[in-house]
Amino acid sequence: MDIGLNHYLVVGAVLFVCGIICMATKRNAIGILMGVELVLNGANINFVAFSRYTALGLDGQIVSLFVIVLAAAEAAVALAIALNFYNNHLTIDVDRGDELAG
Amino acid sequence: MNFDAILEKLINDTVGQSLGHFSSELALCVTIVGLLLVRLVSLDRWLPTYWVALLGAIAAFGLAACQMKQGGATQFLFTGLLVYDQFGIFFRLFLLLFLVLVIALTVISGIPDNEDGPDFYTLLLGATIGMMLMVSANNLLILFLGIEMTSVPSYVMVGFLKGRKLSSEAALKYVIYGAGIAGVMLYGISLMAGMLGTTDMSLIAERMHLLLSPEADGADLSVRSNAMLRTVVLASLLISAGVAFKLSLVPFHFWCPDAFEGAPAEVAGFLSVASKAAAFALLVRFCLALVGKDSGALSEHVYLYLGVGLGVVAAITATFGNLAAYSQTNIKRLLAYSTIAHAGYMLMAVAAMMVLVNSDVADAKLKAAGALEGLIYYLTVYLFMNLGAFAIVAFIRNQILSEEIKDYAGLGWQAPCLGIGMVFCLFSLVGMPPFGGFFAKLMIFKSLVDAGYANPFMWVVLAIGGLNTVFSLIYYLRVLNAMYIVPRPEGSPRVKFDFLPAGAYVVMVTLPVLLTGFFPYFPDRLSDTASRVANMLISNF
Repeated sequence: MDIGLNHYLVVGAVLFVCGIICMATKRNAIGILMGVELVLNGANINFVAFSRYTALGLDGQIVSLFVIVLAAAEAAVALAIALNFYNNHLTIDVDRGDELAG
Repeated sequence: MNFDAILEKLINDTVGQSLGHFSSELALCVTIVGLLLVRLVSLDRWLPTYWVALLGAIAAFGLAACQMKQGGATQFLFTGLLVYDQFGIFFRLFLLLFLVLVIALTVISGIPDNEDGPDFYTLLLGATIGMMLMVSANNLLILFLGIEMTSVPSYVMVGFLKGRKLSSEAALKYVIYGAGIAGVMLYGISLMAGMLGTTDMSLIAERMHLLLSPEADGADLSVRSNAMLRTVVLASLLISAGVAFKLSLVPFHFWCPDAFEGAPAEVAGFLSVASKAAAFALLVRFCLALVGKDSGALSEHVYLYLGVGLGVVAAITATFGNLAAYSQTNIKRLLAYSTIAHAGYMLMAVAAMMVLVNSDVADAKLKAAGALEGLIYYLTVYLFMNLGAFAIVAFIRNQILSEEIKDYAGLGWQAPCLGIGMVFCLFSLVGMPPFGGFFAKLMIFKSLVDAGYANPFMWVVLAIGGLNTVFSLIYYLRVLNAMYIVPRPEGSPRVKFDFLPAGAYVVMVTLPVLLTGFFPYFPDRLSDTASRVANMLISNF
């Protein structure tokens, strides 16, 4: 079997859907952030696959490099905020953050 | 072409052409480095860091003003990553003016303290650079990076007050929604870039036509049967979701009231105006990139849906924001729902533009530019009235340590300057005739009337917008009722309020609201500028 563009796109789509499900079902802030990472990496696989097989060319790889850096920055900020939440609530269950509503 | 030639071309493009037009962003970058250095050598013990931030912001504003004065033709910077045009320059000027005003507000209201100053201003300036990239984005990569560069510092600023439960909860909610939506948007970008074979926004429309040309497989104009086109439409919906999140449009608005209630009023004011303005500029650019210069047969199938779809979202957002604002007891939460409603009104202008720009109505381009002009004017007035309202909330918080509307009882008489400022800002937010908000709403509603000739559905949007304006009066009046009609409870301490510097700041911010309304000929220059900017963008097309 020849591996082609569509196979990579399917892997990307599976990662994307797993990430979305993870974000929707996990109640732990760290778990949700892991879902975000899955989604970002699903998109990255798309970019690299498109850059190999279509007219997108090197642009795709450059974008995925930027996304990797950005995911690291976002994770750092998100973890710091989760830690701050833990310091105030002694839990990182997002359902316990229910004081702001209305 | 060998490597040296490519390198030389790149250096020429960067140093010779691009960096000069990028000067205001560079000034902010230098300021950020300066802020960090000041902290490093402990200079901040003697020199409060807000001076560094304020000077940097004013310098960047001056550079942007010079660019505005010079004018100049549209050109592409950094090998086509950014576009340099009147529209972008106007929005940079707008954002930098707002940055200067917000820094001045934080200096007066004392959040952050001197210890946290360098961190806070680094985040504030970094977010502003992200917004400036958003308004001049010409590449899907810059679109994404701009949105993220704006969002990541905003998450931290929302949770800036350490050791407060509400603040940490607000930041966590904001970061989780924001990161999730960013991932979804990136997936959309990957699909669009892959299908069209480019990340350059100015090529999107052209490539979409290639997908539909007879040589391509499945030369079918209908969205339903052309798989490639279907994927592109799906991708553009995913990207719009990311922009809609920044604009807090229904159904992506959940973060907005929570983040605003938990954040300091200064940060909430910054987010409500600056990130909305930048996201609107980005939305306009993205929508126009989808349309392209000569839309042809595709217009009937895709672009009209896009315009009408935006109209539906706008109507729902305005209605939802106004309805939800009724039952609020916290002033920042009320103002958050009010910003959601205002995003709805402004989106109506974008919807009208999209409907008009492709229509066969006489002078379609001119009328589309009129809609864009309405958006720019509205944003400018909105800057002053919303910043004014949030600044007054911050000043009152410093006095009574509360942001509940019931604690505002009788304050209007004890602090007349703040009270009258609040009256002006809130009446302008409603759109009462003597204030600037009235003319802004009038311009948007007028372009909706024009758009109605192209697609009668826009008249329905207009009717919903009009009804919303009337209903919104009630909850704004509730705040004024608390401030003026309800007496101050017995035994509560008298509010001492000095005119300098807080009162002077309120006067400075609310005066433009009054001027844009009271003298119909004074805003002439503003509306001239707005119409020039709008016409240049549309005519380039």
